[in-house]
Amino acid sequence: MEGLADRYADRAVRSVFIYTREAHPGENYHHHQSMDDKRHNARAFKAHSKIKRQILLDDLEGSAHHAYGLPPNMTWIIGRGGFIHYKSSWTAAADVEDALEKIIHFQDNRIKEQLVPFYSERSAWSVRDREQFMQGLERAGPQAVEDYKRMLKKGSAGKPPPPDTPRQVPGNFYKPKDDEPVSG
Amino acid sequence: MDHPDYNYSVFVPDENEFIDFAVKSPKVTMRAPSFPLEDLETGDTLEMRELWKKDVTVIEFGSFT
Repeated sequence: MEGLADRYADRAVRSVFIYTREAHPGENYHHHQSMDDKRHNARAFKAHSKIKRQILLDDLEGSAHHAYGLPPNMTWIIGRGGFIHYKSSWTAAADVEDALEKIIHFQDNRIKEQLVPFYSERSAWSVRDREQFMQGLERAGPQAVEDYKRMLKKGSAGKPPPPDTPRQVPGNFYKPKDDEPVSG
Repeated sequence: MDHPDYNYSVFVPDENEFIDFAVKSPKVTMRAPSFPLEDLETGDTLEMRELWKKDVTVIEFGSFT
């Protein structure tokens, strides 16, 4: 997402990061009991990730996070004036960029080409990077790792999801029938 | 939800988060809600609607963990 922010900065696109609650709190980066806790973890995140985008802190109650929905890593694209063009329950830079190109075209050409916006939904894909995810949990602390392992045991009788089951990613609502082969 | 419930100390998955995102959160084509946010660098308060006054705005929500 940092590369995308750089590439589009000179095309009247502003990119920001809103810091929410800790998704997987652990001993090293625990849950927020105060705004100072939130600032501390956000600064650690900025230093670790070398993020250059503006980081904005939601309040301690998560007012903005609640209003936009509570997934831990979602992305929205808002057009000039506040028109919501895009919302995604997970952040996948390629999908965001695909949408962004179309939105810029729409905003630049809506009068000339007589473009009329309408509501639409579609599915999207991201690349699973389990190794990077587990590194993040380990960075947060042993508790974060154990919490995640407990979730896997509860959700699939002690087995992690097979690699070819995209429907098990949270945010995917497809409910396969028992005898249905695995597919996307 | 008050802040101790929101800022849970132990992660427990909640599938309703994603259902609520799809069903209850604002839809595309709606007007984006605005809330005051704190700039990490300056400590200043900024209204979200200031973000999209002139620019298309990409907003990623997340945390370190």
